[in-house]
Amino acid sequence: MVETDKSLLDAHAVGDKAAFSELVRRYGDSVLGYLIRMTGNIEQAEDFFQETFKRVHEKGHTFRGEGFKSWLFTIATRVAIDGLRKRKRRPVFSLNQVSGCTNGNCGELGEVAPADCPNPAEAAIDSEQKEQVRQAVEELPPRQRATLVLAYYQQLSYPEVAVVLGCSTGTVKVQMSRALRTLAQRLPDVSGGAQ
Amino acid sequence: MKRHLTERELIEYLFKLGSAAEMELAGEHLGECESCRAELERLERKFAALDMLRDDVKASEGLIARAIEQASEPGPVKIAAYRKIPAWASAAAAVVVVGVLVLLTTRPWQEKLPEPFAKAPTSESVKSIQLKPGSKSEGFTANGTAVLSRSALGIPEKAPFAPASAIELVTLPRRDGVQLTIYNSADLTLVRERRNLTLKRGWNWLQFMWANTLIDPTSLSIEPQEHNDKIDIQQLVFPARLRELGRWLIRSEVSGQVPFEITYFTSGLSWRAFYMGTLSQDEKTMSLKSYVRIDNGSGEEYENAQTRLIVGKVHLLEQIAQLARRQYAYDSPVQTLKEKRAHIADQPGDRLATLNGYSDAWGRHDVSALAWFDLADLGGDGPKEIKKEGLSEYFLYTIEGTETIPDKWGKRLQSMEAEDIEVENLYKYDEDRWGTATIRFVKFSNDEDHNLGDTPLPDGTFRIFAQTDEGGELSYVGWTNVKYIPVNEEVELNLGAARLVKVEPVLVDFATANYRFDGDSNIAGWDEIRTWKIGIANTRNLGVDIEITRSFGTPYWKLDSAGADAGWEKHDATRARVELKLDPQTKRTLEYKVTTFHGARTEDWRQ
Repeated sequence: MVETDKSLLDAHAVGDKAAFSELVRRYGDSVLGYLIRMTGNIEQAEDFFQETFKRVHEKGHTFRGEGFKSWLFTIATRVAIDGLRKRKRRPVFSLNQVSGCTNGNCGELGEVAPADCPNPAEAAIDSEQKEQVRQAVEELPPRQRATLVLAYYQQLSYPEVAVVLGCSTGTVKVQMSRALRTLAQRLPDVSGGAQ
Repeated sequence: MKRHLTERELIEYLFKLGSAAEMELAGEHLGECESCRAELERLERKFAALDMLRDDVKASEGLIARAIEQASEPGPVKIAAYRKIPAWASAAAAVVVVGVLVLLTTRPWQEKLPEPFAKAPTSESVKSIQLKPGSKSEGFTANGTAVLSRSALGIPEKAPFAPASAIELVTLPRRDGVQLTIYNSADLTLVRERRNLTLKRGWNWLQFMWANTLIDPTSLSIEPQEHNDKIDIQQLVFPARLRELGRWLIRSEVSGQVPFEITYFTSGLSWRAFYMGTLSQDEKTMSLKSYVRIDNGSGEEYENAQTRLIVGKVHLLEQIAQLARRQYAYDSPVQTLKEKRAHIADQPGDRLATLNGYSDAWGRHDVSALAWFDLADLGGDGPKEIKKEGLSEYFLYTIEGTETIPDKWGKRLQSMEAEDIEVENLYKYDEDRWGTATIRFVKFSNDEDHNLGDTPLPDGTFRIFAQTDEGGELSYVGWTNVKYIPVNEEVELNLGAARLVKVEPVLVDFATANYRFDGDSNIAGWDEIRTWKIGIANTRNLGVDIEITRSFGTPYWKLDSAGADAGWEKHDATRARVELKLDPQTKRTLEYKVTTFHGARTEDWRQ
C-alpha cells in the first residue's frame, strides 16, 4: 500500500527516518527541477533543495493534511525567492557549464555524443538557443518566474499555483500573462517546433 | 469581434488565462480570421522554445542523503530580508549592561594592582585569583576575587598582571568578515566581526585601540568560535594613563589560529533610502528601484561588510557617541565623584541617604557604581541623557551581498527592484490644501498584486520619471518624501503641481435671499447663493482622472448641479467632491450652484 504524504510526515514526526527519506525521494526530482529553473544555477538549487527539506522537517507539524505538493512548493518558492534576493550579486553560471570553465570552450556536463548526434553546427545552434531560453526565463522577475515554472514546467493548475504563491488565481493569471508577454519578445525562434 | 486579437489576447487564449466568455469570443474570432490564426501559430512556435528546458532532472543519491541527514539536525537556518531582531543581537545588548556591571564590581581589585607596565608576571601581582573549572568568561566574584583552579597543562595558575613587553601582545589582525547592523533612529551600529587570532598556549594579551573612532569601548565583547572549552576570556583591562586602549587577557590551552567573534557598538554610521520609479509610456505601470545610501563617519573602515538596517526605534541606555568620546573607557572616577557629590547635594534627603548607603558599602571605587545607579535610577538630572523609550515594532533590513564602506565615505547600494507595478494616476484640486494648483498623484500598493509586498519600504525619497518614447527617453515627473510603508499598505505619491492639467473655478454669480427677521426687525438669517463654473483642461496626450474638492466654510450648505455636471458628493461636513475622467486634449466646464445658510436660516437647513 502506498503511504500518503500526510502519513509519511506523521511517521517522521515520531522519529521514523525512513518516512522522511521516502518523502524526499518522492518529491526530490520535481523540487530540484523547479529550483534549478528558478535559480539557473545547479549548486544554488542544491543548496535550496536542502534548505527546503530542512524546513519541511522543521515545519512538518504545521502541515494540515491537504495538498502536500502545494505546501512543499510553497516552501521551495519562499526559499528560492529569499535566497535569490540574498545572493543576487553572486555570479550565475550556466546550468550545463563545467565547473571552473571560464572560457566557455569546456563543453557541457554529460557531454557524450549519442550515435544519432546532429552535426556540430546544429548542436551549436541548439545550445545557443537553449541558452537564450534559459536567459529569458532567468531574467523574469522572481514572482513571474515562479508562476511560469510552476504552471508550465511543474504543470500545476492555476489554483494550485495560487496556493503555492499565497495569492489569488487572478493574480497568478496576471503574472503568467506578463511573463509570457515578456518571453514572447525574448524567446528565440525555434525551427521545427518543440525539442 | 471585428478587430484582430492583440498579442495579449492570443497569449491568454493559448494558455487559458482569460475568462470563459473571453475565451469563447476569442475562439469564435479565430475560427473566422486567418490572420489571427497565423499569429497564434507563430506564438505557439515561439513558446515551443520553452520546452528546450524541459529536461528531466534527477536528484542524486548524494543530494537526497544530505537532505535527509541535514533535516535530522536541530536548529533552523533562516534566509530572510526582513526579520525580527535575532537573539544574538539582544544578547550583545545585554553584554553591554552585564559587562559594565561585571567590570564595576571588579574595580576594587583593579585598583589594588601596582604599576601595570612592562612587568613580568609576579606572584604578588594577582593574589587571590583562581580560575573556576570550566569557566569561560570574565568570571570574577562580587568581591573582586575570581576563583582559580588547576595548574595542569603547563600553564601558570596565576594570570599575569600585564604583558611583559609589547612583543607579548597579540594585536588584532584584519577582519575575515564583518556585519553592520545600523539603528538609524539612535545613531547606533552594532558591529559583529570575525577575526582569526594567533594564540600561544598559556596566557595571551590581546590589545585593541579605538583612537579616532566612535567605538563604545564598554560594549566590547569577544567569543572564540572554536575550542570554546580550551579558551577562557579572563578579563578586559583598561590600563591607567593609556587612553583609548584596552587589553583582553586570554587563557588558551591551544596554540595556533583561532577564529573569534568580536562585537561592539559604534556611532557615526547612518543610512537613508531612495526610490526611483519609472512610469511606462501609458503611465499604467511603473518599474521601481530602491537604493540605500550608507554614510560612514565612524572613523573606521569596514571592508566587505554585510549591512543590515534597522527600521524602527530601539531601547537605548545611553548615547553611544557620548560613551565613545569619553577620555577613559569608563570615564574618570575622580571627576565622576566630584560631579556626583555636587549632584547628590541637590537631591532630596531620602534619595541622598540611599546614595550614601550605596557608597559606604562599596568604598571608594563604588563611585562609578553610584554613577551607574544615578544614571539608571534617577535619570534626567545627570550630564548624560538616558533614553527610556519603550521597545516598538522594528524590522531588520538586510542589504544583499557585502560592501566595503571606507571611513568618511558614503555609498549607495541597490536594495530592491520591481517591474510592472500597476499604478493609478490621479490629479487633485483642493484649494484648502494646495491653493490654486492641480496636484498630481501616483498611487499603488505595497502588496503582491503590485509585484511588491515582500518587505516594508523604509522612509525615503521617491523620484518619479516617465518614459517619453519607445527609445526609453525619460522625463522627470516629480519627487516626494514618504514615510515607512508597511506591507499591504496603499501609497499615494504627491508629485507636485501639474502643468498640463488645469482646474480654474470662476464665481459667475452671487446673490442673497430668504432673509429672516427677529422681533426688532433686524436681519436674523439669510442665504448666500453662489454659482461657480469650473474650467478643466487636459492638454496631455493621455486621459486623466481628476478629483476636485470644494470647501464652503460652513456645514450648512446645499449644492445643486444637473446633467453632465452632476456627480458631486458630500465629502465631509464642509466640503463636496467630484471625480471625473477627461479624455486627452480636451476641455470641460462644470457648473454648480451652492447655497449656504446663515443665522436663523441654519435652523431651516436642519429641518
